[in-house]
Amino acid sequence: MDDTDEALMARVAKGDQGAFRLLARRHLPAMVGLACRILGNAAEAEDVAQEAMLRVWTHAPKWQPLAAFKTWLTRIVVNLCLDRKRKTPLLDLDSVGEVADSAPGAREQVESAEREQMLAAAIQQLPDRQRSAILLTYSEGLSNAEVAGILETSVSAVETLLVRGKQNLRRALGGLIDEGD
Amino acid sequence: MKVTEMTRDELLNWLDAHGADLSRWPIEQRGEAERLIAADAGARDDVQAAARLDAMLARFAGPGTEDERSAARILTKLNGPLPRQKQPFWRLPAALLDWQFAPAWPRVAALAGCALVGFSIGIAGVDRSLATPDAQIASRDIGTMVFGPDLFAETRP
Repeated sequence: MDDTDEALMARVAKGDQGAFRLLARRHLPAMVGLACRILGNAAEAEDVAQEAMLRVWTHAPKWQPLAAFKTWLTRIVVNLCLDRKRKTPLLDLDSVGEVADSAPGAREQVESAEREQMLAAAIQQLPDRQRSAILLTYSEGLSNAEVAGILETSVSAVETLLVRGKQNLRRALGGLIDEGD
Repeated sequence: MKVTEMTRDELLNWLDAHGADLSRWPIEQRGEAERLIAADAGARDDVQAAARLDAMLARFAGPGTEDERSAARILTKLNGPLPRQKQPFWRLPAALLDWQFAPAWPRVAALAGCALVGFSIGIAGVDRSLATPDAQIASRDIGTMVFGPDLFAETRP
C-alpha cells in the first residue's frame, strides 16, 4: 500500500484515523523539536505540536496537495509558535542561570551544557522570524527556497533573515563560537 | 568572459545566507568564493568561523531524545476520540448523496402518498361541499370583497 505522506493524507481526508496516527508518528518528533526550539519551552511545544496535528486531522478534507505535506505541517507549527511568542514576553539573556554539575568531575560536559544554554538564550533573543529561519535551516536541513515557502516570503527575504540572525548571534555569543570546537 | 571579484564583506554575507558548505551555494557565487578563498587567508578564516557557527547551530537544532518522548506523549493523547473533520462546501452534494435514508423511507413514503391523495381530490373535484348554494354565494362574496367593486370610489375627491 502507498504510504507516502500525500497518500496517507488522502486517506485521512476520508476519515481514516489509522492513517492519521501513522502520519503523526512519522512527523511528531521533528515538529515537537522544532516547536521546542522556537518557543524555548518543552510543555508549550507539546501543546503546539498536538494542536498542529489536530488541525491536520480537522482540515484534511480541505487539504490540496499543492505543496508537500511536510511543508504544510511545518508552516502550521511555525505559525502556531509565532502566535504564542507574540503573546509571551522575551526571555532575558541575563536570566540564564548556572548549570548544575550532574556528572561530578565532568567539567567539559558542564561547559558544553553552558554553551548550549547560552546559545539557546541567544536564539530566544532573536526576532521571531530570524529565529524561525535559522531553526528551519538547521533543524530540517531545508534550502532557503523551502524556508521561504514555509514562512510565506521570498528567498531574498529569507537570506536577509539568516544574515541578520547570525550577525545578532555572533554579537550575543562573542568568542563562545570559537570555544565550541 | 568577465570574471567578477567577490570581496570579503560579500563573502561574509554569502556565508551567513547559505552556510559554510559551498556545495549549497549558487554556482556563480561558489566560483567567485573559491577564487577568493584560494587567494586570501582571511577569507579562509571566515569560512572556518562560519563552519563553527553552522556546527553549533546544527547541534542545537538537531533532534534530541526528549523530542521522541514528547512525541510519544502526544501520540498517546491522539489515541483518544478525534474531533469532527471540517468538510469543504464542494463536498456537500456528495455528503448528501451518501446520507443513509433507509430508516425514514416508510415515513417519507406515507407523507408523499398523503400529498398525492390530497392533490388528486382537489383536481378531481370530489369535495362536493363547495357545490352547495350557500358555499357558492359565500365564494362569490369573498371574490367581491377581495377584487371590488370599490364601494367608496365615488366618495373620494
